Amino acid sequence: MLGFIKKDLAIIKSNFKILGILIICYIFMSISGKMDISFILPFMSVMIMISSFSYDTYNKWDAYLITLPNGRKNSVKAKYGATVLLIGVTSIVTILISCLISFKSINFEELLVTNLGTIFGTLLVLSIMYPIIYKFGLEKARIMIFAGVFGVVIIGGFLLEKIDLTNVLKPLAFLENYLILILIIVMVIMVYISYFISLKIQMNKEY
Amino acid sequence: MGNILEINNLCKKYDNFELKDITFSLPKGMIMGFIGENGSGKTTTIKAILGIIKKYEGDIKIFGVDNKTNSEEFKEDIGVVLDDMFFPEILTPNDINNSFKSIFKNWDSKMFYDYLKEFSLLPNKQIKTFSKGMRKKLEIITSLSHKPKLLILDEPTSGLDPVARLEIINIFQKFIENADASILFSTHITTDLEHIADYITFIDNGHIILSKTKDELLEKYGIVKCTFEEFQKIDKKDYQKALKSKYEYKVLVSDKRKFKDKYNIKVIDKVTLDELMILMVKGED
Repeated sequence: MLGFIKKDLAIIKSNFKILGILIICYIFMSISGKMDISFILPFMSVMIMISSFSYDTYNKWDAYLITLPNGRKNSVKAKYGATVLLIGVTSIVTILISCLISFKSINFEELLVTNLGTIFGTLLVLSIMYPIIYKFGLEKARIMIFAGVFGVVIIGGFLLEKIDLTNVLKPLAFLENYLILILIIVMVIMVYISYFISLKIQMNKEY
Repeated sequence: MGNILEINNLCKKYDNFELKDITFSLPKGMIMGFIGENGSGKTTTIKAILGIIKKYEGDIKIFGVDNKTNSEEFKEDIGVVLDDMFFPEILTPNDINNSFKSIFKNWDSKMFYDYLKEFSLLPNKQIKTFSKGMRKKLEIITSLSHKPKLLILDEPTSGLDPVARLEIINIFQKFIENADASILFSTHITTDLEHIADYITFIDNGHIILSKTKDELLEKYGIVKCTFEEFQKIDKKDYQKALKSKYEYKVLVSDKRKFKDKYNIKVIDKVTLDELMILMVKGED
């Protein structure tokens, strides 16, 4: 798996300067205190990793990797591994910057929950996108995700108008104390299920 | 001498093409030229061998192991070059070395860099800056640097100029001299095989037409050039194929000596792989 992770990171290394620019933007925005963009670095790292799929397809690496030892399995593991690694590193960078900029007035619990929320969001994108990319390819997946997000926003907006969420969530209020633990468990299960589906698709794919 | 690769009754059906009962084997330490015109089924066969396509009938054994087995240990000993370029062009040879030393247990970085130097490929240049010949050389170098026991090459010289083709053939020759390896070399440029192949397997329209040693082919097979009147006298069972040209008939025979004796013909030309392929594909029974 390590070899495939190295290859994926080598492909996206030219995009690291974008992350560098975003770090600078994030520092300035945090100092000015005008807008919270703590989600931007982990979110961009997922977007950058997704772009590695297009290099693989365009350069016909997809067929070649099957000829390498455990290529089908290790390539899927590596995509998930490299993405989770990048999300982890960019989240740590985000937390460190927040701590350094506002070390006197920092609320650690709030910082942790905000960043966990961001990590959850990015892992949700990964968990939905990757199996779709493996099944249909990046181009079709982009269109499907766009249509999916559009559909969710419309339906969600409609439901929110009709349903009072406060009443619906009331019975679940006791879970608030376990929010962090629940988030972590859901994230692990979500990524594992997604990985399992992607692996199944990749193991049977023909080129 | 065991077989390093065995294919038995391989069948694969597409909407507009079909591989039918592909059967041949490659003995250890030998080079097999896998020839046939474009679209004859060479790449599909190679994809089945390598597991790139999975749904097919028949069985394929590599190093005596069924290639559908869950263990992919045998792929450690296979070097592959596919017909299309396959390295992401944003990578550099340094990136390839860095990744592949974690993919193959036997990866030899020194060998890889020695080859790069020998073929004047700069390690820190992105692949997209390389010419087609340079990219192919990089792919071949990569396929050799984990010291494989079996090389599977799908059209490695296709689209290259004669100088680049010669250089690439020389790489294989040098590799074979130093290692007890076997090569399955698919190509439609048969001249590339004249000097290096031990076996020739010929595929046409999804069927194996013949699979023999090159020496047997070139010694026993021959071309008789004759007029229409002379051709009329030849019994159909005594020749393989015949092709009419403007002034003469070219007749492919599979046993020169027998043919000479029967028809009292003094000169039967040696057949080249190119002529063999043309007559087999275009000739009439």
